[in-house]
Amino acid sequence: MAEDPPRNFRSAYYEKVGFRGVEEKKSLEILLKENPLDVEKLSTFSQRFPLPSMYRIHVWKVLLGILPPHSDSHTLVGGYRREQYQDVLEALTVMRFIQRATPQTQVYLRMFQLESQLLPRCSETTPPDSKDEDFLSIARSMEEIVEDPVDCYWLIKCFVNQFSNKFGDSIPHLPKSLEHYLSVEDPRLLNHLRTTGALAMLPYSLWFRRCFAGCLPESSLQRVWDKVISGSCKILVFVAVEILLSCKIMMMKTNRPEGVVNFLYNMPQENTDAIVSKAIDLWHKYCGTPMHPV
Amino acid sequence: MSTEQPNIGDLLPQLESSDIRQLEEIKSLINENLSTERGSVLLNGLVDYYLENNSAQAMQILSSVREPHDKHLLDKMNDCMTKQTSRLSTLTLLGHVVRKQPSWIHKMARYPLLLSLLKCLKTDSDVVVLITGVLVLITLLPMIPQAGKQHLYEFFDIFGRLASWNLKNPGHVSEVYLIHLHASVYSLFHRLYGMYPCNFLSYLRSHYSMKENLDTFEEVVKPMLEHVRIHPELVTGTKDHELDPTRWKRFEIHDIVIECAKVSLDPKEASCEEGYATMPDHLYPHPQLRSQHSASSPYADFHSSYGQRATPLTHCAVHSQLLNPSCELPFSYGGKELWSPSSLCGMATPPSSRGISPNPELSHSASFLPGHRLHSASGESYYLFLFLAVFRNITFLFFHSSSLNAPITLPSHNSPAAITEELLKITEDKRDLAGLRGFDSPFFHTTETLTGTQGKPLAGLALGGPMLPREPHHSVSTPDRALEKAQGQNGDGDGSRSSPQEQSWSFQPVCPFSPIEHPLHQSPSAPEDEVAKVSDLFSPSPSMKNPSLPYEALFDLALPRAASLFIGRRTSEALGRAPQSDGLEDGEEQLGEGRVSASPLEVLDRLVQQGSDAHDKVLKRLPLPSKSADWTHFGGSAPLDELHTLRSQLLLLHNQLLYERYKREQHAVRNRRLLRRVINATALEEHNNAMKDQLSLQAVDMVSLRESLRVEQQRYRQLWEDRETVVTRLHSQIRQLQQGRDEYYTKNQGLQSKLNEYQKRMNELEADLQRANNKVCHTGHLLNQMTVKLSTSESTQQQMSFLNKQLLLLGEAHKLALQQPQPAGSNGAAVSGTKGPQMVQASWGKEAERLRQSLLLQGQKLEAAQQRVGELDIQLTKKEHLIAEQKKFLEDVKGQAKGELQASESRYQAQRRVTQLLQKELLQLYSRLEIERPACCTTASAAGGNGGGRGNGSTLSPWQPKANHPPASPSSNSVNGTEDVPPPLHAPPAPPPPPHDTAPLTVGSYPSAKSFLGMRARELFRNKSESQCDEEPPRLAGLSQGLKTELCVEPLWPTPGEAPCPASDPVLTVTPAAVSKPPPPVCVPAKEHPPDTRPRATKLDVPRRKMGGARGGAGPTAGAARPRQQQQLRIMDYNDMHQDRS
Repeated sequence: MAEDPPRNFRSAYYEKVGFRGVEEKKSLEILLKENPLDVEKLSTFSQRFPLPSMYRIHVWKVLLGILPPHSDSHTLVGGYRREQYQDVLEALTVMRFIQRATPQTQVYLRMFQLESQLLPRCSETTPPDSKDEDFLSIARSMEEIVEDPVDCYWLIKCFVNQFSNKFGDSIPHLPKSLEHYLSVEDPRLLNHLRTTGALAMLPYSLWFRRCFAGCLPESSLQRVWDKVISGSCKILVFVAVEILLSCKIMMMKTNRPEGVVNFLYNMPQENTDAIVSKAIDLWHKYCGTPMHPV
Repeated sequence: MSTEQPNIGDLLPQLESSDIRQLEEIKSLINENLSTERGSVLLNGLVDYYLENNSAQAMQILSSVREPHDKHLLDKMNDCMTKQTSRLSTLTLLGHVVRKQPSWIHKMARYPLLLSLLKCLKTDSDVVVLITGVLVLITLLPMIPQAGKQHLYEFFDIFGRLASWNLKNPGHVSEVYLIHLHASVYSLFHRLYGMYPCNFLSYLRSHYSMKENLDTFEEVVKPMLEHVRIHPELVTGTKDHELDPTRWKRFEIHDIVIECAKVSLDPKEASCEEGYATMPDHLYPHPQLRSQHSASSPYADFHSSYGQRATPLTHCAVHSQLLNPSCELPFSYGGKELWSPSSLCGMATPPSSRGISPNPELSHSASFLPGHRLHSASGESYYLFLFLAVFRNITFLFFHSSSLNAPITLPSHNSPAAITEELLKITEDKRDLAGLRGFDSPFFHTTETLTGTQGKPLAGLALGGPMLPREPHHSVSTPDRALEKAQGQNGDGDGSRSSPQEQSWSFQPVCPFSPIEHPLHQSPSAPEDEVAKVSDLFSPSPSMKNPSLPYEALFDLALPRAASLFIGRRTSEALGRAPQSDGLEDGEEQLGEGRVSASPLEVLDRLVQQGSDAHDKVLKRLPLPSKSADWTHFGGSAPLDELHTLRSQLLLLHNQLLYERYKREQHAVRNRRLLRRVINATALEEHNNAMKDQLSLQAVDMVSLRESLRVEQQRYRQLWEDRETVVTRLHSQIRQLQQGRDEYYTKNQGLQSKLNEYQKRMNELEADLQRANNKVCHTGHLLNQMTVKLSTSESTQQQMSFLNKQLLLLGEAHKLALQQPQPAGSNGAAVSGTKGPQMVQASWGKEAERLRQSLLLQGQKLEAAQQRVGELDIQLTKKEHLIAEQKKFLEDVKGQAKGELQASESRYQAQRRVTQLLQKELLQLYSRLEIERPACCTTASAAGGNGGGRGNGSTLSPWQPKANHPPASPSSNSVNGTEDVPPPLHAPPAPPPPPHDTAPLTVGSYPSAKSFLGMRARELFRNKSESQCDEEPPRLAGLSQGLKTELCVEPLWPTPGEAPCPASDPVLTVTPAAVSKPPPPVCVPAKEHPPDTRPRATKLDVPRRKMGGARGGAGPTAGAARPRQQQQLRIMDYNDMHQDRS
């Protein structure tokens, strides 16, 4: 990389001075230019830096395996994906699982169910269980982030699959780790939560199963998901810690755990960017910055 | 305090102590006490003491009482006023206090004392008290001008009462009192008229318009009116305006007094300040003098101010009188012609000189002489004393002024000696005259008195010394009255005689005057002593002269230009005329009759004068020792009564004197101010002159500077021109030089170019040289080579020759050798024996040569081979590299393919899911259908297979019509569609596809087709299905091919009617159970439901099996898409394997 002429010689100083994201886009572009995309590098990059939004979807697709690393076959694979989506959609439509009025997320759910062979029979449709709810809320958030329904569906599906495959085992341990980091960061708050009994009632499923979908606005959420997709579920813990810290005053005020939980379910949407930034910093602090891929 | 109080009270009597030191102590003690204590006890005691003893010291203390005590004092006096007995002395005290003008005097109007004073004046009948009171009131009025407002009519009433006193109470009082009263009323008149003209006039108008007052008006007021001019306020002011307090704020006390004097025509009262002082103008010979107000005032002022002759600050007036006594006289004489009888004012002029004229021979001098007569022939001594006093004041003043304006003092024009001389002369004249005239004229009224007294000065001179310390002012002021009175009449002759009434006033009381008060006067008036006493007189004169010098200087200062001239001329004139004026005067005195009614003041003067005359006569007639008898002898009245009258007269005179002195002081204040103005003006003038001088000097300077400027300008111009010429010259020079320089430049350039040229040539030459050198070198080198060659050639030549020689030798040797064999042929064998080895040797050598050559060749070959090997190695590595790259690429491609494959796999998975779902749906629908069916199905089956098949198809789905078509156009595509239907229609013989439509199809169709035939056949088929598979592989393949394509083309095949096909189409090797499954539902009634679940499970296995089947069987023949794909798959597998391997 040293011989790369377009590299800005000032890049070494940008970070020192505190500018971020100046070089990242360029680096990312360089990464994306490689022909067999180096997924490893991409994921490291994504862990380390915020993704520029113009490349986010693309990177996600690559990271989630929706697109193969070879950019040559992207169109072909993209066509396959689209066809598959359409096939499934048509099948569902024909089987009258979905109608025109069916909300898109419901459609996604059905498709997902179909593909994972969980689709109940048309006559036996059951109300969505908690897993379905998680899926739906993730789908809602993803729908906001991605415009193209095909991409959206694929992203949702792969995200959910990857999440459950990769982190399915670690999710139950996340509350513990949250407790740990909170005790490091702010033992008083932890004590308070503990004494009031709110600790057990914290919205873990919202945070860790839905990955904050519906909790944070999409603009902040996608930065969290960057990290999740690039392979870290720890970030969820830190976001949770940051949320708790930033709402500390409010928490300390309420003694009733219901109040705390209620508040956390309906968190104010402002200032979430700062929370996420702090959370990422915190995450970097505790889990170390991944090696620079470049 | 209470303990001390009595002590101080006790001390009071000691005020009369003669010991000065003790007196001072007591005074200071009392003053201190007064300043520390606020109580009224001590003050009351003082007042009482004064009332009792008439103590002068007490009076002094009281009149200088400070602020906090004024109330007590006034209250006390108010108390005393109420008592008849103490009223007079209280009034006297009040007079003293008022004249002292304490700072609190303006409060007076607020105290009841004023009211009681007014009341007293309105009600009291004692003339002495009245006169004293009126004088106090007159003095007080200017001090409380605005306060008089509310009491104004009381003042007027008092005036009215007192004016008519004489008429109302004729005979009650002695005429002497009346004169005094009249004089004081006259003064009151002036004061009221001066201060409140409008109110006063309106009062007069209203009061005297009454009949009963008419007499009074005629008698008293009218003559007074003759002595005033019209007050300007009468024209411009109103009654209210003149009472306005703001009007009075502008005035000081003396301003008011002068204001009052201004409107008076009476020379005794009048003031000749600006605006009013027109009279004396004709006296001034020099216009400068007239313009100088200070110079003009003395003459005018003199008459009024002379009465207060001691006034220290009327120095101008006094000065002129003192210094120019003689010179003034001629003027006054000269002026006499101007005295038209009609001009009343004219009276003012002559007496001015007369009042102080030291020339006793003048008849005019009578005016002042009567005063001396009053005091028993001490007139002249008074006069001299006055001089003394005046001089003293002047010196005092001078020292003051000199200390203030020290630098301004100028050297006096008149040397002290001259003045001394003059004075000496004058006194001598006086003496002479005195000697001449002696005392011969005592019985005449005016002339005689005048002349009579002239002798007396000499006597008085002796007395003057001792008298000085004792109330000089008192004594002076009174004579002044007489003097003024005389003045008024002198000009017109014996005015006093002409008015009988006044004369009578003056005559009666003449004799009893003054002796009592001035016992001293009586003693040494003997004429014999006179001459001797003259010397005494002269003793003070030097002291007079010295002070005159500074005073003169002051005068000079005030009148810088004219003064010395004026003085000098007057002196000489006076000296010249002194003798002749004598006679003139005598005659003149007889001249005019007094046509103007005499001013009350004049009357009073005359009274005093007459009294003095009478006294003189009496004194002369009576021997001194018999003085006591004198009373009865002269007056005839009882001595006691007489004494009382005289006392009160004396008191009145005293009061009058005090009043006049007060007036004088006011004038003095004013004069002081005026002098200051004069001095200021003079200083300014001086300054102005100095400035003018400076200006002229500067103008001269300026002219000279201008001149020099002009000269300098000229010089500058010249220099400039010079410079210009020089500059032009220099310019031309520069130009020339520049031209020269340019030429040099061009030359220089030419030279330089030449130089360059030369240098170039030099270079060329150098290059040539180099070249030549090179050549030389080269040739040298060649030469060397040549020499070397030469030497070698030489050596070769030598060798050649040597070789030639050898050749020759060899040739010879050869020849020899050729010759030899023949000789030595016998030896041939031996030779051949040797030849063989030689040949062998040669062959060996050749062999060796050949071998060597071959070795060389081999080595070369080896080398080439090695090179080849290297090349090949390189190629090999290249290839390897290529292969690696290829591998990488392959890897790449594999990855790509894998990605794509995964995608399609997932697609396929999805597809499968869809299909499964669809199948599920289908099955569900079937099951539903079967549940619904039993009723109709039983009938259909009963009716027949065809009908059942049809019914089946029709009931199955709306796709039925489509399914019915294929029979018409049987194609591979529609095989499945026809599947159900055709068999019933066309039976076994199948159209071209049938060959393809192999076992599976038959299997698939058999059941449906043979459902009609029977269950057994199906069972049979099921058992043989496997063998069937083996038996007809090609058909199977064909079938599979067709099916696969169909499947690909129509991935969605949700028709329930065709459901058996999909189930069967993959089943090329399908188990009979699976194939036969569809039929059972068709023909088997509801009983067969349970096994229905099984096919589903088997279906799941289908793809796997199919794969296996495809792999196993259809591999080589497969030309369809499906096998191809499978092949691809297999390739992929192979790749995988390969990858694994690699």
